[in-house]
Amino acid sequence: MSKIVETNAIDAFFEETEKLQKALPKKIDANPQNVEAGLAKLVLTLIELIRKLMEKQAMRRVEAGSLSEEEIERIGETLMKLENKMKELKGVFGVKDEELNINLGPLGDLM
Amino acid sequence: MAMYVYGIIDSNDKIDAFVTGLDGVGVYNIPYRDIGALASDLDTPVRDTDEERVLEHETVLEKMIECFTVLPMRFLTVFNEKNNVISMLNEHYNDFREDLDRLHDKTEFGIKVIWPGAVIREKIANAYSKAQVSVPSPDDSPGKSFVKKKFETYKINKEFEEEADRRIAVIDNFFNRNVCEKKLERLKTENMLLNASYLVDNEKQNDFKKAFEEMRAFAGDLKYLFSGPWPPYNFVTKTNTRHDRE
Amino acid sequence: MGAVNSIQDRNSSSSFLKENRVTLLEVLDRALTKGVVISGDIVISLADVDLIYVGLKLLVSSVETMERLRGAPMSGNREEPT
Repeated sequence: MSKIVETNAIDAFFEETEKLQKALPKKIDANPQNVEAGLAKLVLTLIELIRKLMEKQAMRRVEAGSLSEEEIERIGETLMKLENKMKELKGVFGVKDEELNINLGPLGDLM
Repeated sequence: MAMYVYGIIDSNDKIDAFVTGLDGVGVYNIPYRDIGALASDLDTPVRDTDEERVLEHETVLEKMIECFTVLPMRFLTVFNEKNNVISMLNEHYNDFREDLDRLHDKTEFGIKVIWPGAVIREKIANAYSKAQVSVPSPDDSPGKSFVKKKFETYKINKEFEEEADRRIAVIDNFFNRNVCEKKLERLKTENMLLNASYLVDNEKQNDFKKAFEEMRAFAGDLKYLFSGPWPPYNFVTKTNTRHDRE
Repeated sequence: MGAVNSIQDRNSSSSFLKENRVTLLEVLDRALTKGVVISGDIVISLADVDLIYVGLKLLVSSVETMERLRGAPMSGNREEPT
């Protein structure tokens, strides 16, 4: 295969592309247990996406200075509860943070 | 006997076995109007994790881009019989024809750039804490200190991404005049500043390479990876199409 | 591959291996995630995107199965989970 791959830093790229390899489509076993686990991961990924979007939106409003002290207080408590709930769910389903990064095609990596 | 399809070409010529593909079997062209599907007979099952087969797939395409305009298929596109391939070509003819016209005499190149992400993030974090506007205090309620913590991370991330965008713009600027299309991906990992795919007119290939040398000289301590020529994987528009047979 | 003796040999062969690996990953990244996507006749693998379709269908069919087994459609009068 006559491919030109030219680099001035093979070690650095080796390290980074190994990290990126995780983003490649994984083989999915069709047996029922794994499909369920896959489904749990999928649901948690979507919940996590919404949670992170909400957090980001809140931060934008804090940045814009459009929130009162009480609003900041309430948002902080809500975001805290959401984050803790997510940690709980991840624990229940035995899912690690790195696993919640599904490539949804045109939407790109979610997080 | 199944058929493995490698890609779509702008030719209805009968190409027979001057290239071998998966299983060492000859690749042929299945013509439809003025285009065709490159295929070979597939006997054995193929796993989606079969790296050797992916390389065979790629080898076929690289030989083909020397003679034709090729729309590369994603790995593992298989049909049960020739008629199904032809009905697929019929269904997507217009999109394929458009792509083939658009990609005629053009080649894809890849440029990846690594920067010291962790170092830059730390610099930004230090600058932020020095200029601390909302200092966390022990009197803060849990909700408020949560917000302050998240806000700090948010600001640092934002600055980090903006810095990345600035540097990417500088890099990309070297190539603008010499490319037809581009796909830029920012911060695939913290250190992978840029993952770029450029579609270059064959006549401008030398200019493009010269631009790359200029960028190298300018970029100094950045780490780069240049790859190509590639079949235009990143520039075909027909993606995520479900072939409706039901 | 024979035994590598000198440090230089070891470095250049490991460099060679790394280059091969990086090249392979460049190919995989394109051939597995880009290009024209037409689901053919034989679904040999399920890409991450396809899992969503499977997932939703599974979800729908498992709810239907549950309803059948319970003998009634699920109403909104359940207790909200706390």
